[in-house]
Amino acid sequence: MAQHKVNYAAEGGLPVVLTTVDKLVQWGRSNSVWALTYGLACCAIEMMAAGASRYDFDRFGTIFRASPRQADIMVVAGTLTKKHAEFIRRLYDQMAEPKWVISMGSCANTGGMFNTYATVQGVDRIIPVDIYLPGCAPRPETLQFALMMLQKQIRRESAFRALKPKRLV
Amino acid sequence: MREYKPKGDVQAKAYYSDRFWVAPQLPTFSVDSDEIFAEQSKKINENFEVIKEYIQTGHLVVEVKAEDNKDAVAFFKDELGYNFLMEIAAVDFLEKRGVFEIVYEMLSTTTKKRARIKCCLRENQALESVNDHFRMADWSEREMYDLSGVKINNHPYLKRIIMPDDWQGHPLRKDYPMIGDEAAQWYEVDKIFGKEYRDVIGPENRDQARVDRFDTQRYSKIKHEVPKGAEFSDTKTDFGDYQEKDGVFLVTKLKKEDSVQLKERR
Amino acid sequence: MKQQVNRLQPFFENVSFDRDDNHMVVNFGPQHPSAHGQLRLILELEGEEVIKATPDVGYLHRGMEKMGENMMYNEFLPTTDRMDYIASTSNNHSFALAVEKLINVEAPRRAKIIRVMLLEINRIISHLFWIATHALDVGAMTIFLYAFREREFVMDLMEDYCGARLTHSAIRIGGVPQDLPEGFIESMDKFIKQFPIDIKDYEDLLDKNRIWKMRLEDVGVIDQEMAQSWGVSGPALRATGFQWDLRKESPYEVYDEIDFDVPFTDSCDSFGRYKLYMNEMRQSIKIMAQCIPLYEASEAGVMAHAPEYISASKEEIMTQNYALMQHFVLVTQGMRPPVGEVYSATESPKGELGFYINSQGDPYPYRLKVRAPSFWHTGLLQDLLPGHQLADVVTIIGNLNIVFGEIDR
Ligand code: SF4
Repeated sequence: MAQHKVNYAAEGGLPVVLTTVDKLVQWGRSNSVWALTYGLACCAIEMMAAGASRYDFDRFGTIFRASPRQADIMVVAGTLTKKHAEFIRRLYDQMAEPKWVISMGSCANTGGMFNTYATVQGVDRIIPVDIYLPGCAPRPETLQFALMMLQKQIRRESAFRALKPKRLV
Repeated sequence: MREYKPKGDVQAKAYYSDRFWVAPQLPTFSVDSDEIFAEQSKKINENFEVIKEYIQTGHLVVEVKAEDNKDAVAFFKDELGYNFLMEIAAVDFLEKRGVFEIVYEMLSTTTKKRARIKCCLRENQALESVNDHFRMADWSEREMYDLSGVKINNHPYLKRIIMPDDWQGHPLRKDYPMIGDEAAQWYEVDKIFGKEYRDVIGPENRDQARVDRFDTQRYSKIKHEVPKGAEFSDTKTDFGDYQEKDGVFLVTKLKKEDSVQLKERR
Repeated sequence: MKQQVNRLQPFFENVSFDRDDNHMVVNFGPQHPSAHGQLRLILELEGEEVIKATPDVGYLHRGMEKMGENMMYNEFLPTTDRMDYIASTSNNHSFALAVEKLINVEAPRRAKIIRVMLLEINRIISHLFWIATHALDVGAMTIFLYAFREREFVMDLMEDYCGARLTHSAIRIGGVPQDLPEGFIESMDKFIKQFPIDIKDYEDLLDKNRIWKMRLEDVGVIDQEMAQSWGVSGPALRATGFQWDLRKESPYEVYDEIDFDVPFTDSCDSFGRYKLYMNEMRQSIKIMAQCIPLYEASEAGVMAHAPEYISASKEEIMTQNYALMQHFVLVTQGMRPPVGEVYSATESPKGELGFYINSQGDPYPYRLKVRAPSFWHTGLLQDLLPGHQLADVVTIIGNLNIVFGEIDR
């Protein structure tokens, strides 16, 4: 059997009680990032696998939601085609701030192997992306690692920054 | 002077072919070599004007006139017992011969034989829909219309199926480049942001070999990547751990010593 | 630069009430969690009943047929993975078989046996995925978790063989890339012993489950005439009482030496199809078990010998000059198959998967058309859905086992 050795970080540290409200808010946000199911193609299957039994996404506080109104992050898993491009922008606009985007798989990052007339060459032409996740298809562990990096990034941000729209491209 | 590139067929071509290269042919057999096919062919010849007929890779191939396509499919279904129409495809020979080759793949579950009806369609000729005999033609013909631009007569709902309604061109034609024409390349930008934003968003990167000055290198040494051109050094770029050094409140951090590798699945 | 305000207008076509016939038009998708991908359905409802359904596909059209015309045969093979991405090996196999027919090459016996094993493993992966998502749509979450657990074990087998979880490319033109790795047979054997118990688990949970039965029985009835007219294949066809399986009717690889049944039923409804899927998994297990002795008795060698079309093995390339030259030519210029057309069909987990290749003697196919079973299973929805309740729509979509990678290609 293949061994799935997840090499999580080596050094541990003592949990420190965080004091400022800012940190508290971001701590809360980072531990309940609800994801919008944005399965588009093959990568969506790995995204589902990440949510299912062996990989269990729920332990990070990530629950897949079907409605953009309830979601904090959008995991764009799969090929975005030109016909679909309009809808991803619509759904992104419908998500409430603060919101983040993970682009999962080569197709979402750059169009991947589909250098054709019908695919958008990277979702960052349509919506701003926070984390790019390489692979075709990325393993569920990769998605989980990406999520943990995002959590870390959220904790680093200031909670009460003015909500500036993110830069596109 | 710019090199002349033919516009009729812009698909990939072999960059080198031997002068004396003659492509071999897939063997074809006469219809008499198979009992069932021979009998069927006799019936077909009585009813239709057959342009060509032969057996290739176990399929009976019959070429009829484009006007006969609907009758031929009906004949195969009702008289010869081909109860499934499996596939309809259009092959673009516009550049070479000025025609589309339309292919109907039929299957008979009683005799376990497959047959292929072919017909050649001139560019502006419309094809009769076979939707009355096989409902599956509804979608196949729509696809054919959408991707190859074959016009269909008497189709219940002839509308683009794969590409968006406001798409320009027919992608599976030989004169349509793989990466699309200009309208295709800017399609999503035009639609979502408007033409004015073409400059802001910039053209697509279609060059698979593009090197970005700011790309990182040395992927083999994780956490030691440096921008292209920079000195390789062993100073760690801090991509960081998955968690802050001193941990996160109420969130456990995995210690390496605590992790176990299973010998066997559970 | 600031983010640009886009010019998308608000969308009111989701629900429209402004019709005078009291019908309601509901837009479903293209990004709906139970649409199994990117299906958009425009449903016209009268009360709860669907009276007209218009499926709209193409949201995952990636131009694969066009890519096929612009890629050499070997180059195109990994692209076929992304068609029916739940069982990618079955696509690889179907494509490889079509090309093999074209160039008239036969894979060696051991390769054929490995292919059969991999195909059946993929069938199980696909069927497990089907039962998981279908049950989730209908409301049985437990099955989802159970089936995904076992699916991971099957994926491990696949991963052992080719290293990938999803996009396998595990079958090449002319054979398979490598022999089975060490320990593969043992782990497969263990799986074969364990899996029937797992299937029993699912059946215990579902067979007599009132909700499951109520939602599946007599829902989505496809009769034989409709199936023939729409070119339905696979389990959906077999549920109409048609005992038709290409593995039996026109055997490829070593299926003719293997003893297995083709389960079929004439109940025509979703529940019948569910039982079929379960039985098919049992048959797959049976086939896999029979492959083990066949494999052990076969001679080594997994790639056909046809220097004109297929590269020699790595050892030969590294040691023999001519093999290296041949390999170089094949990689840079590609093989040049004979002029002709070929249509070859195999029984993929979803139905008849066919590849039509029109070759003009160039290294690139002149036309490559994929006959994807799901395409017509989706088209069928226009005729199937009217008359059903709105809640049944999701059951029917899930039950037909459609995958958008192969519908839109
Ligand atoms: S990156 Fe690969 S696996 Fe993911 S959607 Fe694209 S082709 Fe499929």
